[in-house]
Amino acid sequence: MGIKLFKEPKLENPVMIAGWPGIGNIGLVAVDHLKTMVNAEEFGEIEPWEFFYPRKVFIRNGELLGLEFPINKFYFKQMGKRDLIFFIGEEQPTNGGSTYAEGTKAYRMANLVLDVATKFGCHRVYTSGAAVAPIHHTMKSRVWAVPNSEDLVAEVRSYQNTVLMSDIEGRGGQGNITGLNGLLLGVARKRGLEAICVMGEIPVYLHGFPFVYPKASKSVLEVLCSVFELEPDLQSIDEFAQQQEQEIEKLYQKLPEEIKGQLEKLKHVTYTKQAEPSMITEEDKRKILEDIDKMFKKQPPKEG
Amino acid sequence: MTGKKPFKILKEPALQSSSLVVGWSEDAGKIGGKVVDYLKRNLEAEEFAEIELECFFPLGGVGVEDDVAQFPESKFYSCDDKNLVLLSSTPPRFDWYQFLTGVLDVAQNLCHVKDIYTVGGMISPGAHTTPRLIMPIVSSKEMKMSLNEFGVNVDMDYETPHGQRPTLSSYLLWAAKGRGIHGASLWVPVPFYLVSSEDPRAWKRAIEFLDNRLSLKIDYADLNAAITEQNQKIAQLTSRMPELGNYIQKLETNLALSNEEGERLAKEVEDFLKRKG
Repeated sequence: MGIKLFKEPKLENPVMIAGWPGIGNIGLVAVDHLKTMVNAEEFGEIEPWEFFYPRKVFIRNGELLGLEFPINKFYFKQMGKRDLIFFIGEEQPTNGGSTYAEGTKAYRMANLVLDVATKFGCHRVYTSGAAVAPIHHTMKSRVWAVPNSEDLVAEVRSYQNTVLMSDIEGRGGQGNITGLNGLLLGVARKRGLEAICVMGEIPVYLHGFPFVYPKASKSVLEVLCSVFELEPDLQSIDEFAQQQEQEIEKLYQKLPEEIKGQLEKLKHVTYTKQAEPSMITEEDKRKILEDIDKMFKKQPPKEG
Repeated sequence: MTGKKPFKILKEPALQSSSLVVGWSEDAGKIGGKVVDYLKRNLEAEEFAEIELECFFPLGGVGVEDDVAQFPESKFYSCDDKNLVLLSSTPPRFDWYQFLTGVLDVAQNLCHVKDIYTVGGMISPGAHTTPRLIMPIVSSKEMKMSLNEFGVNVDMDYETPHGQRPTLSSYLLWAAKGRGIHGASLWVPVPFYLVSSEDPRAWKRAIEFLDNRLSLKIDYADLNAAITEQNQKIAQLTSRMPELGNYIQKLETNLALSNEEGERLAKEVEDFLKRKG
């Protein structure tokens, strides 16, 4: 019980990219888009029943034909020098009622994913998720990147449009990554594998809504394409992002003027340390972020 | 979970090619638990194993229902002369597959179970006086053919709607099928206004079916008394509140009630039966 492989492809220096559902489905959409973009082929799965309750039963003419479980599948693509393995999960396993992975099941799932990575010779794993940040939805999402080793910090810093924890004011390089995105980083470290989590920014005022936020997925996709030297095909994700932004804009316009006024200020502040002087004073910036923070019940930015 | 077996065996029953009847404690009208409880008492079945609660329940205190503290329970009983195994259980809160694996390990390895029947209630818009049908779902064509001989129609089409999830009975049947054990889940309609109280007529329908199918030779005296008592209580209520009697009459003639009428009937019946104990 555990992993079922339909075929065992011969892979050259592969890298694994994993995605799960989470806030705005940012990681899942990015990884799934990349998988579709390179036309990756399915080659295995993690048997789901140990981890998940079935989500559908099929009964025909009184006979139970089967159950449908959330799927967790592996895909591969031979690229020449550096092949790709994708892992896409439809749900995060938990021991209790939490939405995000935790407990022994999550730990076992993380290990099974990495069993496949090591079996095919992967030395590096990317995970992808969301970073809840004080940004405005009209802004381009940046990508927070967290490596599981100091040796990778310089490399990660070279990625385009990327923020490290130490770039965020008041954080001192610290933070939390919830769910499997974080757990996989830790388990990979324990097993001697390099791992990097890339998280697309979602505005703090949207993360509680059941929205998909493809704008952030696009930013993650751009980073991954640049890392793997792939020409990104962004047409469908662009269309999806525009469509979602129109929906968000409709909702935004319905907000009371006072709240909208506060949120508009997010267009003019940055929560990261800046190399160049800003248009607004440090005092203004502090006040704006404090006000936004109060409005969202003083929730600190989180990621996962 | 650790590698420890999630069940405790108290004694080994002497069973061959036995049948397992499962009742979960949480279903409409509490049919499953009541049916298994009646069979257990009527056939003087003996407890022989239990599932370890700490593996499948949070155990962070107790819930209170109808003024009484509740606690999960998951026990096996056997009636060796009838070749019958009973499982009365609270549905697990997590690790469902491991739970069902434990149930099937006990059933298969200790009791040599050849077929499984789960019993549950489904909410019905009908009246309590309406004769009940058994609506079975089977896990194999063999089971379907054998049930047809007992005068039940096995013809339901169903797909879990979005936002809901399959029943634990379906999950058990699916897992049992993987081990070559045939199974059927037996669903008995429970009038919507008895869902929160008790529906002995529904218990009787399920027990009659199991009695015929498994040759149990059940004594129905207690059950008939419970049906008579409940009919009397509902008659008392409708004599005090004739409009409720009219609602029930409408249901008996297949006429639908308005939302307000349905809610009123359910509330008054539930309150009255609770007061009457």
